[in-house]
Amino acid sequence: MMNRTLLYTLAVLLLLLGCSKEDDPVFDQTPDERINETLAQYQAALSGAANGWNARVVTGTGGIFNFHFRFNAANRVTMYADIDTITAGTARESSYRLKALQQPSLIFDTYSYLHMLADPDGSVNGGNDGEGLQSDFEFAIDSVTADSILLTGRFNGTRVTLYRSSDADAAAWQNGNWRNALAFQYIGYIPEYFKRLALGSSSYDIRINQQRRTITFMWLDAGNNLRSFTTSYYFSSEGMVLVNPFTDGNRTITSLSSEGWDAANAMLRVRTNGGTAGTISGAIAPARPDREAPARWWQFAASQDSYWISFNGFRVNGVDDAFHVRDLPAFAFLVFWPAFGTQSGVTYDLLGFVFVEGSSLTIGYGAAWRPPVFTADGRVLFQLYGTLGTVPPGAAAAFNNTNALMSDPDGFYLVQTGELTYDMVSAKDARSWITWEY
Amino acid sequence: MKITATLFILMLLLVVACDKDEPGNVDNIPGLGGDTWEPGPIDVWINDSLTAPYNISAKYKWDQGELDFNRTLTPPREEKIIPVLSAIKKVWISNYVAVAGELFMKQYSPKFFVLVGSASYNPDGTITLGTAEGGRRILLYVLNDFRIKGMPGYVPSDSFNVKEMFHTIEHEFGHILHQHVLYTPDFKRISTGMYTSNWNNVSDAQANQDGFISAYAMSAPDEDFVEMISIMLVEGRSGFNNLVDGITGTSPNGTTAAEAKEKLRQKEAIVVGYFKDVWNIDFYNLQTRTRNSINTLIK
Repeated sequence: MMNRTLLYTLAVLLLLLGCSKEDDPVFDQTPDERINETLAQYQAALSGAANGWNARVVTGTGGIFNFHFRFNAANRVTMYADIDTITAGTARESSYRLKALQQPSLIFDTYSYLHMLADPDGSVNGGNDGEGLQSDFEFAIDSVTADSILLTGRFNGTRVTLYRSSDADAAAWQNGNWRNALAFQYIGYIPEYFKRLALGSSSYDIRINQQRRTITFMWLDAGNNLRSFTTSYYFSSEGMVLVNPFTDGNRTITSLSSEGWDAANAMLRVRTNGGTAGTISGAIAPARPDREAPARWWQFAASQDSYWISFNGFRVNGVDDAFHVRDLPAFAFLVFWPAFGTQSGVTYDLLGFVFVEGSSLTIGYGAAWRPPVFTADGRVLFQLYGTLGTVPPGAAAAFNNTNALMSDPDGFYLVQTGELTYDMVSAKDARSWITWEY
Repeated sequence: MKITATLFILMLLLVVACDKDEPGNVDNIPGLGGDTWEPGPIDVWINDSLTAPYNISAKYKWDQGELDFNRTLTPPREEKIIPVLSAIKKVWISNYVAVAGELFMKQYSPKFFVLVGSASYNPDGTITLGTAEGGRRILLYVLNDFRIKGMPGYVPSDSFNVKEMFHTIEHEFGHILHQHVLYTPDFKRISTGMYTSNWNNVSDAQANQDGFISAYAMSAPDEDFVEMISIMLVEGRSGFNNLVDGITGTSPNGTTAAEAKEKLRQKEAIVVGYFKDVWNIDFYNLQTRTRNSINTLIK
């Protein structure tokens, strides 16, 4: 009896519960219908902007890059980017699509300028191999309004905002204003290692890292002390904009615009803050050399019985690897090995040519150098001592030219460019240099 | 009895109660059946040249789901896709079709290529050029650096990338073949006791001294077998002969050069016999054709 009552109660309960078919969805459409509608709206917004979209991408490594996108309704996008003068001057078409991932997403799905920042090949963008500049090309769409679209990268979390372009914005790209703004790249054509910004009676040594987008100013202040200031920069269609303004006394520089490359004088004409005219040209010596650098460089390797490596040999008068060491068969790199050995009481340094032999590396031959002389004004002088090994006839030119330059009686400055990297610059005319890495 | 009846009614109620109405509109689930886009010339080419004749598809547009989630990768440049796929068609598909017939290729070929623009950088500093899984899907990396003779910027060292790509494809296709019909167990007896999981610490030259065609061939007999197939095809007969004849010295494991050469020749004989007996393919003919096709790309 008890059992039965229980069962009936349960049955009635089930009936009541089971029949509660009040299926009152919060939305009046299914999720699929809503996502399709959203994607269609986003598609219409993207391809609806007649002048396309401007975007600023800040990569994970801190570089700031500007893009211009124009989407059409057939999964194609045309873009410009201020990465270099080619990307800023030539439109490139690639594909994109909208896709419902966990969020509606915008995917640039074949290679474009945008992918150059994310490319894991460090030689493309100056980032580390395997991660590039930590940028994105697959984005979740956070919000879409008539004038802006907010995106978040799905891999590296890059935040990008697209702003609807005006006629003038689009024209600035198409007419090459941006390409001109990137004329700062031309300072790579200045044959001297040291670059100097001259503004009236003042001058500043500048060093621009185009891949990491930083600029360093070095100058002597009123008290004759060497000062240095480094900041990130980005480009606008007007020119280079400093993220942190540079100040020296009552001078403040917030932007540098390019007024044209003067090929005859190997000089870039610039204006600061849109007003004051100046020039960037080569200099044969730094404002003040780092006097301890040569000894520091030599001692660093010597103290560990180790060596410095150069993959490219000397750059001379604007020509990379001027002596064609890289063209030698199976060439791997040059080594500079301080205090390599001792002969007849002389402890000599080695400038060795290293080759790949089978699966190992071997020093094929090299030149021995007497212990270097470090001058008081911050130069290092090398003197040839002899040849080690046999130099094959085919390599004689590369070998002898490299040694001749090394023996230059004016010697070399050393410029520390990173924790374990130095540039060794000819003190005669600053037109030859070699990069040493540890 | 009564209780059973009640229970029955209960069950019925349960079933009836759960009979809800239509599940709503499910006609248009986004992404169902794969992504869609406006087909362009590349899509048409892939369809006409690979999908329609051989039932092979190639995904060149970015899809993170096909790839490692912990690697930085990029999609390929559009201008590289047709050159790569037509090279694959020329070197791999056409030559197998010529010696074994169309039906063979349609039946056994891996069906799905995924194309990636950049290399896959491994934590140890090496890069991966290609991988494959399940005899179905082949991933090819570094398409953006794919250059064959006649392309701007081609240098002889690019031939390494080209050869490595075919090495991957022929290797994986070899797996498919032996997974259908296994090779003779005699093959496994040639290098008994020398297979090792430590193969990645062995150089190719040392592996040769032990009678293996590559270091990876030391990982397992199956890999040994398909490495033989793929390297013999890609390097050609004279390339293989040079490799064998070039072995000198005694390996750290005590294999003499003569023994190593003998082992490689035995393996060669089994591979050639396997192709003849199982698939009715003249291996040397296939080898000559494949090597000639590769030569037209790189020399």
